[in-house]
Amino acid sequence: MKIYTQTGDKGKTGLLSGERVFKSHVRIRAYGEADELNAAVGALAATLSGGQDQIKMQLVRVQSDLFQAGAWLSATPGDETLQRLTPLGQEQWRRLEGWIDHFNDQLPELRTFILPGGSPAAAWAHMARTICRRVERVVVELAHTQAGQPLPDNGLADILIYLNRLSDYFFVLARHLNHSAGVSEAAWKG
Amino acid sequence: MTHYSVTVTSLSWLTRNTFEIRFNRPAGFEYRPGQKITFEDGGITRDYTLLGPEHRSELAVCVRHVAGGRFSPKLAAAQPGDRYRIGAAHGYFFFKSTDRRAVFVATGTGIAPFVAFARQGVRNFDLLHGVHTETQLYYADELAAAARRYMPCLGDFPDSPRWPLSFDGRVDGCLAQHLAPGAYDFYLCGRNEMIRDVTAFVDQRFKGGRVFTEAFF
Ligand SMILES: Cc1cc2nc3c(=O)[nH]c(=O)nc-3n(C[C@H](O)[C@H](O)[C@H](O)COP(=O)(O)OP(=O)(O)OC[C@H]3O[C@@H](n4cnc5c(N)ncnc54)[C@H](O)[C@@H]3O)c2cc1C
Repeated sequence: MKIYTQTGDKGKTGLLSGERVFKSHVRIRAYGEADELNAAVGALAATLSGGQDQIKMQLVRVQSDLFQAGAWLSATPGDETLQRLTPLGQEQWRRLEGWIDHFNDQLPELRTFILPGGSPAAAWAHMARTICRRVERVVVELAHTQAGQPLPDNGLADILIYLNRLSDYFFVLARHLNHSAGVSEAAWKG
Repeated sequence: MTHYSVTVTSLSWLTRNTFEIRFNRPAGFEYRPGQKITFEDGGITRDYTLLGPEHRSELAVCVRHVAGGRFSPKLAAAQPGDRYRIGAAHGYFFFKSTDRRAVFVATGTGIAPFVAFARQGVRNFDLLHGVHTETQLYYADELAAAARRYMPCLGDFPDSPRWPLSFDGRVDGCLAQHLAPGAYDFYLCGRNEMIRDVTAFVDQRFKGGRVFTEAFF
């Protein structure tokens, strides 16, 4: 079957809940940014070598969580579709917290700001962190547009917690990747 | 992934080149109206939408025999007792009950999910079925009985059409003529070109309309 549908040639696209909206719509931006983050996570995973299987598995888990979040973001509240989707839940951000604590316990304490970069893998982890913050900003914007609507989007609050944790995960992961590769962190000298 | 082996129980021709083929329903096989199954055969996979009703002890699909096609001619030649491998039912082309009027638009065998919806008990919809000749209006009686308006859109318009709301031309022309401004849920199934054109038409004429699509080819 053809990959191109040509139904979006005039700048509109369809939400999972069927509405036709412009591609600049905040909901489209939200799941589009989540998709970009997912691609960055894929790029990060591609820089990892053998012996880093545990991190690779974590990243696959994150990619699948981001898919789940993206599906949720692509339907409007009250739509029947949402009844068949699972919102992100506590179990998922608790898992991130576990990984964050695990890496952080092995890292020297931070006393200054560090410049994003280092090994290619760490540089990608910083890219993922900053894209994650952008996804978060758009989801906050979406949540604001939903405020006061008759049907609350109950999944957004959980997505926000998850994203907030996820960017912290990428931060400690970047540090861990630099440390394990013997790359020193560049401190901000002001 | 779950796989099932299904056995052909019967095959009947609806027109010269379209047939309904039925299979035994394997234990544990579940589906929702609007979903499809994927046949796997010698390294190729092909999707077919289940006709329903979902509680029937057989599975049925309506298939167009594509001349020169890689798989549909094989199915067309199937005999009772032949076995096929299929995957679990999948897809999200479901009917959603809302306070908007539903408009179903199909071309050719793209009528299949709408047969499944009607057998599920969905009523009060407008149905446009784009085909070349009246003989290709598969399941017409059943669909006309369930629909609020049943509108065949015929490429080859007969002198005395059988259905009162028959339209001489394409489905988008029929929509332009028969659909008053309003909020609708559009369900489109069949050829990609139809989906593209009707979606463009909805964007232009029915702002706020919701569109659900299932492209066959
Ligand atoms: C989600 C989905 C659901 C589908 N459901 C059905 C169904 O319920 N019934 C059905 O007959 N087909 C259905 N199809 C199409 C089906 O999967 C095959 O593509 C079709 O049977 C042709 O396969 P083939 O190997 O014989 O032809 P191929 O060798 O793959 O040749 C493909 C060509 O056949 C033509 N073609 C494909 N499907 C049709 C069709 N339905 N009518 C007319 N021409 C066609 C197109 O020109 C296409 O380019 C569905 C496809 C999808 C993606």
